[in-house]
Amino acid sequence: MSFLGWFLLTPLAAFLLLLLLPREQEKTIRVAALALSLAIFGLSLGLLAGEPRETDLAWIPELNIRYHVAVDGLSIWLILLTTLLTPISILISWKYIDRRVKEFHAFLLLLEFGVLGVFAAMDLFLFYVYWEVGLVPMYFLIGIWGHDRRIYAAVKFFLYTMAASVLMLASIIYVYQRAGTFDYPAILAMLASGKLTFTSLEQTLLFLAFFVAFAVKVPLFPLHTWLPDAHVEAPTAGSVMLASVLLKLGTYGILRFCLPMFPTAARENAGWIAVLAIVGIVYGALVAMVQPNVKKLVAYSSVSHLGFVILGIFSFNQQGFDGAVYQMLNHGVSTGALFMLVGYLYERRHSLEIQDYGGVSTPAPWLSTVFLITTLASIGLPTLNNFVGEFLVLQGAAQADFRWAVFAATGVILSACYMLWMYQRTFYGETPEKVTHQMTDLNGREWAAILPLLALMVWMGTAAETFLPRISAANRLILQQTTVNVPFNVQTPAPRPDVAAKEIADAR
Amino acid sequence: MQGVPLSWYLILSAILFALGVAGFLFRRSIITVFMSIELMLNAVNLSFVAFSYQFKQVDGHLFTFFVMVVAAAEAAVGLAIILTVFRNRATLNIDEINSLKY
Amino acid sequence: MPANLFPAPVEIFRFLPEIILALGGTLIMVLEALTGDRQPKNALGHVSLAALFAALVAAVAVHGSPGPAFSSMLLVDGFATFFRVVVIAVGILTVFSSYRYLSREGANTGEYYALVLFSVAGQGVMVTANELIMIFIGLEISSIATYVMAGLLRDDARANESALKYFLLGSFATAFLLYGIAFLYGATGTTNLTAIRETVLRADGPSPLLLGLAAALMLVGFGFKISSAPFQMWAPDVYQGAPTPVTAFMSAGPKAAAFAIFLRVFVTIFEPIGDRWEPIIWVFALASMTIGNFAALTQSNVKRMLAYSSIAHAGYVLVALCARSDIGTAAAMFYLAAYALMNVGAFAVVAYICGKGEKYVGIDDLAGLGSRRPAVAAALTIFLCSLIGVPLTGGFFGKFYIFKAALESKLIWLTVLGLLNSAVAAYYYLRMLVVMYMREPGEATENLEPLPAGLRTALFTSAAGVLLLGIFPSRILEFAVQSAKLFGR
Repeated sequence: MSFLGWFLLTPLAAFLLLLLLPREQEKTIRVAALALSLAIFGLSLGLLAGEPRETDLAWIPELNIRYHVAVDGLSIWLILLTTLLTPISILISWKYIDRRVKEFHAFLLLLEFGVLGVFAAMDLFLFYVYWEVGLVPMYFLIGIWGHDRRIYAAVKFFLYTMAASVLMLASIIYVYQRAGTFDYPAILAMLASGKLTFTSLEQTLLFLAFFVAFAVKVPLFPLHTWLPDAHVEAPTAGSVMLASVLLKLGTYGILRFCLPMFPTAARENAGWIAVLAIVGIVYGALVAMVQPNVKKLVAYSSVSHLGFVILGIFSFNQQGFDGAVYQMLNHGVSTGALFMLVGYLYERRHSLEIQDYGGVSTPAPWLSTVFLITTLASIGLPTLNNFVGEFLVLQGAAQADFRWAVFAATGVILSACYMLWMYQRTFYGETPEKVTHQMTDLNGREWAAILPLLALMVWMGTAAETFLPRISAANRLILQQTTVNVPFNVQTPAPRPDVAAKEIADAR
Repeated sequence: MQGVPLSWYLILSAILFALGVAGFLFRRSIITVFMSIELMLNAVNLSFVAFSYQFKQVDGHLFTFFVMVVAAAEAAVGLAIILTVFRNRATLNIDEINSLKY
Repeated sequence: MPANLFPAPVEIFRFLPEIILALGGTLIMVLEALTGDRQPKNALGHVSLAALFAALVAAVAVHGSPGPAFSSMLLVDGFATFFRVVVIAVGILTVFSSYRYLSREGANTGEYYALVLFSVAGQGVMVTANELIMIFIGLEISSIATYVMAGLLRDDARANESALKYFLLGSFATAFLLYGIAFLYGATGTTNLTAIRETVLRADGPSPLLLGLAAALMLVGFGFKISSAPFQMWAPDVYQGAPTPVTAFMSAGPKAAAFAIFLRVFVTIFEPIGDRWEPIIWVFALASMTIGNFAALTQSNVKRMLAYSSIAHAGYVLVALCARSDIGTAAAMFYLAAYALMNVGAFAVVAYICGKGEKYVGIDDLAGLGSRRPAVAAALTIFLCSLIGVPLTGGFFGKFYIFKAALESKLIWLTVLGLLNSAVAAYYYLRMLVVMYMREPGEATENLEPLPAGLRTALFTSAAGVLLLGIFPSRILEFAVQSAKLFGR
């Protein structure tokens, strides 16, 4: 087993280790969880270094199920994002989580295990296993440590994802039936060589089954309704992980699996999917604008931002793909940071309603500054990260269909409106006495948690070449797969002689 | 085969079995329900014997003996259960034994 | 031939597990009569455990010399060994989770343990039977013992009612099964499964009318025994009223054994007329899953909810049967093993919580278990995840394998509907998780006694088993696949 194979098991080991600690020693548990997750982050940096980044072992030989994991330019940054955000989530929960500390951190590490696995799995069965494994800890994170309506939100989250993914399981089994293997590269090779072909109907149905499972996770309008509930009710760390990492599972899955396996169907359906993505962009922005609840506002802004990612993917060109992947990372960084900052506000004021704030910048200037930078990043200000991603997506969309770019661009404008308006109402204006009283500025721990993300925002906005080459290389391959495969899989039924003869006879 | 044809036995057995099923479904006294089950078992016995006679074998006869033995054991346990129910509730009407639910 | 009157030693050896169990049961009854009230605490339970473990060892050892026994009345093959191990394991787990319950209810008597042994012995006969008579006798040994176990608490009105219903419906089902057997005998002139199989496959085979009648009647009988829709109505009442360890037992052991003979009979003998019964099983499977899952949604009693869930799970196994392939059979075997573990485990938790007189069996009574007894809650979480079908548990892999078999047999609609059903099912299992982890402790969990050793063993063994089946299913799967092939087809 190579480094990657072991590395992916480290969060599970950390999870088990944490379970062994006595539950009363909360401090030890926090420190241990932080140290372990930082160590995992350190290890994950090793993945950048080089080869071999693949492990392929037999797991269940009877069914030819393999522990096949690999990392490429598409997944490497998402993996790093996950390993970075886990210690950050632990840091921001230091004070906020005050009950069942042990379970909380254990679930966080289990979540990391599942998510990393999804990003690395190269075996469809393994992928599904990781996909569902990530579901359970998130369910508990929302359900135990969330706000008032947490149970409703947790159950809704679980059922939406579960219901959507069972059909994906059926499709995975079906693909296995046809291909005789769960091994994804092998399936792709078979598709490319024409050994495995799907009829048009098969492709459409399989594509839809996979796509719906991913679209719920993204979430694509109109499947997004679980998201605001889950975000609002989740504890800060849960929101951060949900927004930054879990939503990416959906877009990652579409790019990784839906497109290369079912290119014809993906292209045929690109039209309405792009329209839904644009509807999501505009709808999310409009709903965000009228939200009185700051967390819900950020949640709806996620719907809007993820619409860009989908749009980029279904533009079917290099810029679109690159922009989509870059936007996944951007959203992970900036929206993650936004949720953290909202969490900071909540910890001080114990309210998420915008009307309970105002003039925060006076008592807490640094918090306001950091919030402003994050807000600007989220809007897509040049030199900050989102600008690059949105620009690439719009460029790609314009190549595909100019109207898409026009409508999507309104989303950028709208995002400036709602974010800045929210910022103004929260941080400027009259300072109510309660706010003055409760708002303290950032402390060292909070700085430590937010600084890496701020640095990333600037880095990703100004030095995109650090990240883009690897992403582009992976995307080029996917783009090639979506074009190369097409001729093999479009099966135009040859006219049956008897039918043709009848038609000729009828014509006479 | 001379005498009564096989089908007559089978029809009789089917009628008895059907009566047993009907009694099980529609009678309200536990004892009658229980007797209906016995009737069903004996209807089956009749089939066994008829088939066995047809094939000139003893297998069916043997089976009948096993059924009778088991039916006796079942009756012993069944009556004991019915007795405890009666002791606890002082009724043998099946409609009144409905405390389980929700 | 006189030589046949005296079975060869190897034939007796092939019957060893059942011999051990029957002798053990008898021994316990004698010991109880001899010692009266002077027996040390739980001693008879320990004896039964010893017998069960010995039988387990024997069952595994017997696998080394497969073949028929007693003029081909019994047949020891991989299939039989697999189910023998399952039913004996269920017996062991049941005894472990019964100690505390019985002493709490003041019914810690030897007869209970003897009945467990007899019932398991009956199931052992069922799964090894190669003869209609043996199927019938095994079924009755198992059933009659279980009827008594259900009514063990003589003064408990609910348990009486449960026993009565179980008894009446069970006997009713037996009568149907027996009638089917009679027709099968009438159609083929023999009661030996191997011989019947040969007759059925002959060109001048039995009359299709009689064979069809036999299949239909046996289907009704088995349908009752495995609590498949539309013959499921007895299960909720019986499961709810019976003492919880008994519920655990009868939802796993007798059910697995009934499925074993169901599979054996239908996949071998009735295979030639499979085109005719497959649509019926299709409907049964879908109806069981749907009725079970949707009825479970509204239950407030844990035992009743698990009863409905067991109906749904019978539906999943029927999907595997519907596939009519070796893979399907193997999938059913694997699923039943996983199901036995997770179900017994879940009921063992209920047996721990319920308190004297089973006061606390509502779903709400689980409130706060997560904070009061984290280990128990973690075990129950594993069982529930397995019942939902979350990966890395036996339930998931079993379900995956079943639907894989179904898809291979082109049962696309049944697969899709079944998978959607399992998403519905997630809802009511989640409710238990919600209550357990997200509510403040209530009366039931506030005053829980420490987890007794026996229950702990039962819980953690089944939890470990569920995880093992989910993470490393290879060995068992391989065994199931091979056994399913041995299966005379």
